Amino acid sequence: MIRQKLLTVIFKILPTNVAYAHCDIPCGIYDPHLAQMAAHTVIRMTSLINDLKASSSEPLFDERKKIISQISRLTKVKDEHAELVKHEVRILWGDYFKEEHLKQYPELNDLVFRTMKLASKARQEVNIEAANELLDTVQEIAQIFWKTKNIKSAKIKSPYPSGATIVVPK
Amino acid sequence: MLLLSRFIISGHSMEPTLQQGQNVLVSYIPYLFVKPKIDDMVLIRHEENRFLIKRITKIDGEKYFVGGDNKKDSMDSRRFGWILKKDIAGKVILKAQALVSYV
Repeated sequence: MIRQKLLTVIFKILPTNVAYAHCDIPCGIYDPHLAQMAAHTVIRMTSLINDLKASSSEPLFDERKKIISQISRLTKVKDEHAELVKHEVRILWGDYFKEEHLKQYPELNDLVFRTMKLASKARQEVNIEAANELLDTVQEIAQIFWKTKNIKSAKIKSPYPSGATIVVPK
Repeated sequence: MLLLSRFIISGHSMEPTLQQGQNVLVSYIPYLFVKPKIDDMVLIRHEENRFLIKRITKIDGEKYFVGGDNKKDSMDSRRFGWILKKDIAGKVILKAQALVSYV
């Protein structure tokens, strides 16, 4: 307790400097791929939860345990990846996109806003529509990202079991 | 060379060890007595008045290779090469709890 108070005082007394722990120096290494993969995972986890079936309306305790365990694991991964989508999009929005990009693509702010809300919805609910819509908004951001780099992109069928598409640079 | 300074982290390259917004205390005093060693978190002077926070991952004589804990998002020795002891401004001697504001 005393140590904590002492540290608080030390931290308060000392002026703050900034230590950069980032690649935005700028190193210019950004890619919307991770956000898309995370969105695919959200879709996949949501589908797997929806596909879970019990043998009857009153399953035995052992079967319930198994189902609860599966739901817990799938939900954990779904939540983590929905959060990862937000994290990756925040990096693009906060660090990569510049004011001139916003002028050129004024829909960007709204797209990011919707992505954040959809990712939260996909976390809170078992909602395949929200998960699919989340991938859509992430892909729209990905398309704008590649346009800002003057690189053509294509939306192709992904090799993932989510069965959805992916935006890749050509 | 820093006697004792407080730094606030900006960026993600040291996650999960250090989060954006987290406060750390940095001092050069430990290095007056012992050499920097592998796994030390250090503050390095990257450019004029610009500090980076990284971890020492390799040592070769008097040269140090530094990296971020978050390999996928880190600008470090993989990009700017080995650094010298004179580039090290201090050692992270204490980190505050994540996202606690002391401002």
